Amino acid sequence: MATTPTSTPVPKTNRIGLSIAEYKGGKTTLCAGCGHNAISERIIDAMYEMGVSPERVIKPSGIGCSSKAPAYFMSRSHSFNAVHGRMPSVATGAMLANRNLIALGVSGDGDTASIGIGQFVHLMRRNLPIIYIIEDNGVYGLTKGQFSATADLGSKLKTGVINDLPPIDTCVLAIQLGATFVGRSFSGDKRQLHSMLKAAVAHNGTVMLDIVSPCVTFNDHEGSTKSYKYMKDHEEPLQDINFVPVFEEINVEYDPGTTVEVTMHDGSRLRLRKLEEDYDATDKILAVKRLAEGHAKGEVLTGVFYVNTQAPNFIEMLNMTDNPLTTLPESVVRPGREVLEQVMEELR
Amino acid sequence: MRQTFAIGIGGAAGQGVATPGDIFAKIFSRRGLHLNAYNAYQSIIRGGHTFLTIRAGPEKVTNMGDCIDLLIPLNQDSMNRHLALLSTGAACIYNADTIKPGATGDGVQLCPLPVSKLADITRNKVAQNTLAIGAGLNMMGISFQALENALTEQFKKKGEAVVTENVGIARAGYDHAASKFKPFAWPLPMTENRYAVLSGNIAMAMGGAAAGVKFYCAYPMSPSTGVLHWMAAHARKAGIMVRQVEDEIGVVNMAIGAAHAGVRAMCATSGGGFALMSEGLGMSAMMETPVVVIDCQRAGPSTGVPTKTEQGDLWQMLGAAFGDYPRVIASPLDIGDCFKIIPEMFNLVDRFQCPGMVLCDLLLSEGRLSVDPKDLGFTPVIDRGELITTANGTPSSPATSGDYRRYEITESGISPRAIPGVPGHVHTAATDEHDEDGVLISDEFTNTVKRRAMMEKRMRKVTGIEAAIPPPALWGPRNADVTLIGWGSTSGVIEEACEILSEQGISANQLQIRWLVPLHGEAIVEILKGARHTIIVENNYSGQFARYLRSESSYVPNGYIRKYDGEPFMPHHIVEAVKEQLTGKTTLSVPAHEIMV
Repeated sequence: MATTPTSTPVPKTNRIGLSIAEYKGGKTTLCAGCGHNAISERIIDAMYEMGVSPERVIKPSGIGCSSKAPAYFMSRSHSFNAVHGRMPSVATGAMLANRNLIALGVSGDGDTASIGIGQFVHLMRRNLPIIYIIEDNGVYGLTKGQFSATADLGSKLKTGVINDLPPIDTCVLAIQLGATFVGRSFSGDKRQLHSMLKAAVAHNGTVMLDIVSPCVTFNDHEGSTKSYKYMKDHEEPLQDINFVPVFEEINVEYDPGTTVEVTMHDGSRLRLRKLEEDYDATDKILAVKRLAEGHAKGEVLTGVFYVNTQAPNFIEMLNMTDNPLTTLPESVVRPGREVLEQVMEELR
Repeated sequence: MRQTFAIGIGGAAGQGVATPGDIFAKIFSRRGLHLNAYNAYQSIIRGGHTFLTIRAGPEKVTNMGDCIDLLIPLNQDSMNRHLALLSTGAACIYNADTIKPGATGDGVQLCPLPVSKLADITRNKVAQNTLAIGAGLNMMGISFQALENALTEQFKKKGEAVVTENVGIARAGYDHAASKFKPFAWPLPMTENRYAVLSGNIAMAMGGAAAGVKFYCAYPMSPSTGVLHWMAAHARKAGIMVRQVEDEIGVVNMAIGAAHAGVRAMCATSGGGFALMSEGLGMSAMMETPVVVIDCQRAGPSTGVPTKTEQGDLWQMLGAAFGDYPRVIASPLDIGDCFKIIPEMFNLVDRFQCPGMVLCDLLLSEGRLSVDPKDLGFTPVIDRGELITTANGTPSSPATSGDYRRYEITESGISPRAIPGVPGHVHTAATDEHDEDGVLISDEFTNTVKRRAMMEKRMRKVTGIEAAIPPPALWGPRNADVTLIGWGSTSGVIEEACEILSEQGISANQLQIRWLVPLHGEAIVEILKGARHTIIVENNYSGQFARYLRSESSYVPNGYIRKYDGEPFMPHHIVEAVKEQLTGKTTLSVPAHEIMV
């Protein structure tokens, strides 16, 4: 019998030779339509396109629907589900012990702005190399829909309860405290989120992204300010974001009058075409001011609010050894006898 | 009885109690004398009352002892508090310009120093301290050269002029004593030994360095802060990443994060900080990530008495974090042991992948002891257990975790631990209950069979830990009239109480517990089976160890000696309580602390 040669189609691969399938995760157990699933998809795309080696990535998370999400992308990366609100310090410890890792932290609005706010603000001060994503839906999903601290004043729960306290703006906090790449996006804004995530991978320092991600079960109704409809009606992008990775050729010129180009640490270019004439994402004070104005006007501003590519990250600042502490051989893992003897001599 | 000599220096915080203390300690240790120092102080920057006791002698000095041979009150308040407690043979050196003595017991020598005549007090505010050191050393029969050397070292950073001035003042005090005061009956001897003087906090920090700790973080809290200070001061030299963190929640989680990534990580705190860490300890247990946490106990509950000692955190540790999990708890027996216990603890927690807790207390943490560095062992064995740090010889395909299962069910309960970033060993570490491969079985996939198997796997490690730690041993004569049982820092004072009892015709032996969890309950019962009269001695109100021992072994002793006033036991407290109990008068003694500090 004659054999017909069959040609299996060669899957498309990225610059490190991996197909997109190798960036996928387990099947989601979140609700159908949950914004978090869309974010997982964008992460997969961005990591694939940036050619990030999955084995180098750790996915620390806290507790909540958001923090379950790392199971649904990048199965070849290492997950660490910490306790509620404590991911920032766990990630800090892990990164100090092994500087070769790439940290992609996933948290939620409860995990970050309520139980974890103390940890969050201190993480922002460090400028640790980490991408810190808040999947922000304004409610606690796993405990059946109570308000979180990012819920807007006056927003309404399904049960009719009105939120009586102002929200914590995690972006304002992050900018004030020292994070060097701060933005807000919307799980439904595929293009913007995709570019922002790719730029995040190229950034050297803390990237804090607050991504509004509607909860279809508990917070997608009339009166909610974190619903799909509300976001579609109120999202005000500050820029049109275009990211050109270092390994791609630049084939489109830009108009310096309307576009700010930021050169990232690795040489990639982040192009922010201004939708507002005066907005400059490298101006910290302006960023905070514009966010405050947005609150006053009831706008949901999105975009890259602030970026600083010059600040040293935490590990550079600490002047650590180039070799990760965790791979030091036993011969150098402890100070030599002579060091301890010298210290002891001072105590005689 | 052991021949010792004790100096008490009292004054207000800020009056310079510490410097004379350091100088005496240095001179004693260089004479080859053992010494033990304990500072009773208060949580105040200036003022209040601080009382430093330094006790020295040619044999081991394990505690502050019962009496003061030389009292140096730096103010009237200290004179009033302590003079009456001096007994025959003791002396009190004081500034006659500013301090009036009260009534003294028979045979107590009052040594007034005319400070303004002997030194220019307008130039030197602490002249009285330096004069007293000089006078005291003369009365102890110690050469002036020893003092000159110590002062030169102490002040050399401040320049030649300061050294000359202080040596001059000390000389004046030394010479004044030679002509006016009677020397002590027992001149301090000299030996060939040379000891280092360590606090428990320094010892634990150095023990960590010797164990290969690469990550240390902490939030400052008395009396544990000394560990952080040593770590910060020696971070570069010892190659340790040291961070001060925003709170103890951050501390324990950061340490676990570092440990999870593969380094040995340690942190220290006191009871209040430990309370904040208990959530994190549960995480360490569930993820099977080893971490070592030191609790330097202070008097609680709550803020309690921050500068006073207690053994009151045992049940907090026994119950730290919810759920059942294997843990190791050990309590160092003295300051040298503070060093040794750290590498031992790290080897255990690395082997058994669980949290390890070191239950120290203020008495050891801030007390000081002469230690022969030779006894410590600077290169203890490092056993990291089943740790996978490279992909050598393991699953071929980096794309999957292959056969690797992070939480593989094994007979020992120990599953080989791969650090993040090792190709072929990708896994999820989760605080949720999980399957062998790390996949969560807490939400959609709850499974009673798997949950039971994972619980049993983790708890099986307890058997291994039990086998890895030695049972306690009885010290002293076999057939004693009384057996004293203690744990941790009371070791030295109980030992001395046993000696005093024996001299008084009551033979006594001692069972001191170092490994608290797991507890060798059966071995303890076996040891105590033949004991004639057993008494548990501990520094807390409710008899925390006695209750624990009873719960683990059903053993009930004949009596209890407890102290919870913030100060440590002195030997006579125990001696008198034992005698009281042997007459059958009581089964619970709570000795009063006679010194008002």
